[in-house]
Amino acid sequence: MSLVKDLTNGIYRENPIFKLALGMCPFLAVTTSVENAIGMGAAATFVLICSNFLVSLLRNLIPSKVRIPCYIVIIATFVTLVDMIMNAYVPDLHRALGIFIPLIVVNCIILGRAEGFANRHPVLNSVADAVGMGIGFTLAMILLASFRELLGNGTWLNINVLGPGYRNQPLLIAILAPGAFILLGFILGFFNILEKRRGGGQR
Amino acid sequence: MAEMLKLGLILMLVALAAAVALGLVNSRTAPIIALQKEMEKQNAMREVAMSLSPGDSLAFDSISVEGLGNPFASVDNTLEIVRVSVPPDTSRIGYLFIAYGKGYSSTIQTMVAADLTGSVSSSAILYQQETPGLGANVAAPSKLIENYSGRSAEGILLSKDGGGIDAITGCTITSRAVTNSVREGLLAMGDAGLFRTAPVIAEEIPAHQDSCDSEEGAVVSVDGPAGEGGME
Amino acid sequence: MTVTLLLQTLLAAPGTGNSGFDVGRMMAIIIAAIFVNNFVLSRFLGICPFLGVSKQLDSAIGMGSAVIFVMTLATLGSWTVYNLLLVPMGLAYLRTIAFILIIASLVQLVEMILQKFSPTLYQALGIFLPLITTNCAILGVAVLNIDEKYNLGYSLVNAIAAGIGFTLALVLMAGLRQKLELADVPPALKGKPVAFLVAGVMSIAFLGFAGLGS
Repeated sequence: MSLVKDLTNGIYRENPIFKLALGMCPFLAVTTSVENAIGMGAAATFVLICSNFLVSLLRNLIPSKVRIPCYIVIIATFVTLVDMIMNAYVPDLHRALGIFIPLIVVNCIILGRAEGFANRHPVLNSVADAVGMGIGFTLAMILLASFRELLGNGTWLNINVLGPGYRNQPLLIAILAPGAFILLGFILGFFNILEKRRGGGQR
Repeated sequence: MAEMLKLGLILMLVALAAAVALGLVNSRTAPIIALQKEMEKQNAMREVAMSLSPGDSLAFDSISVEGLGNPFASVDNTLEIVRVSVPPDTSRIGYLFIAYGKGYSSTIQTMVAADLTGSVSSSAILYQQETPGLGANVAAPSKLIENYSGRSAEGILLSKDGGGIDAITGCTITSRAVTNSVREGLLAMGDAGLFRTAPVIAEEIPAHQDSCDSEEGAVVSVDGPAGEGGME
Repeated sequence: MTVTLLLQTLLAAPGTGNSGFDVGRMMAIIIAAIFVNNFVLSRFLGICPFLGVSKQLDSAIGMGSAVIFVMTLATLGSWTVYNLLLVPMGLAYLRTIAFILIIASLVQLVEMILQKFSPTLYQALGIFLPLITTNCAILGVAVLNIDEKYNLGYSLVNAIAAGIGFTLALVLMAGLRQKLELADVPPALKGKPVAFLVAGVMSIAFLGFAGLGS
């Protein structure tokens, strides 16, 4: 039962973006299209699962004094693996995500979950937590990316939705840098209202 | 002391395991990545070069021109130029080069085919990371790139800068970066004496065959045959 | 050997591209890093400290100085290790791992040295240093310098300018947020949401720099 709880925890209750405000940089940067958001989400989720698995597996072997450097090495290794594999098999996506692939290393979600969860929970729970957090992160990115791609380019996942008339004069600002900040501000505000309605807004 | 040694040893072990794992994966993926890059480049070369002599199978060999005036149009001040010929005839029918233009958020690479008089016959964007929906539109088949065709360096300049090329609406920076890098590349090749007539006056004066077909001026080094690919 | 190589890369023929050092290009890099491609408002690097440490003007300045400091050192370290160690040995694929370790140990080292030799500076910057390891702007600038194929001179210029750009965004934000404390913000937007909206407006302002210096 607790496995299910660990899994769903990251998706809504402790959503890394909307609740914990972790991993903001790639979140804002790669959400120019839904495709990029899914790619980034998959890459980050993969690293998250692998690092949580390994950290949890080695949690009794790594002395606590050197645990942070060890975690960093573990995470950086998986990030480099993802980098190489994406470069070899999905070069277009690799190119689109660019510098934000190596920067998964400093994505606070991953180190945060390794340090905050995986190093004192069993392997299965840690993996469940990683899957949940990864899905939460990916869904959050898809949400923002949907707004940005739809408003800024008239498409959703490269499918033309709003028609050529809109695409000639789209709301460009949504896809530019300011759009990411402003739309995220409104989405967070909307979540605040939802919380209040539910009467659970104790933040 | 023993404690420190133990900690250091553990860290070493972790780092070693990481390096070995990465080395293994790298040895698997590196050839695939290299192959893919090469294929992409070859395909682009063929596609663009087709405009020089449609229907023929073409041969490529590369040279490089060093000491460019504008550092932004190239990598390390060197322009890699591919000479195009129709085998078995070894005399070239035109050139290919990649222009590097610093755009809004990336260095845009444009593959350009120019004929012997220095006028562009075709061009294509190889790489760009400009803003999606805005600067990135240069990569979609765009009027900007098409407009270069038939023009020499003189004519490849944005209307805003006094030339005849219209920038893509809302992305002057990207358009200017691409346009200027192509122009700089053509000018550098002209300076190196690769074109039959000086490209600046190519459109006004009929080409005289004898002028400067020799490779002098800037330093021209011949690397020997590079991609010997038949086309079609 | 290393020293001569370093000097060569730094001082070779001025006025030529990547192999030398051109003042015009340097200015272009500085303007791009501070204004046009501002790390925070345009490249989205270093958002966490941008939101976390921008509530007070003093701490914003402290964080900014610490970032400029570490960014410069990290660039020096990462550029040297990459170009003089990893590339010659064919280990370029260890870049990410090497850089993050350099940054992490550098931050530790700086913290220890400051604590020992300059307690006043340590008091000013100390609390920000641990946060810097996971500041993606630092790793970002190190990776960007490699991707852009900058030589050491340009890399350092880029790092310092990026740090200044980060500080500028942070200080501006802190000033705005101090005013925001007194403003009448709709309850749902209080806190983070309004901070993002303000950042968005600042980002629009920075869009106006597009095209400068190129």
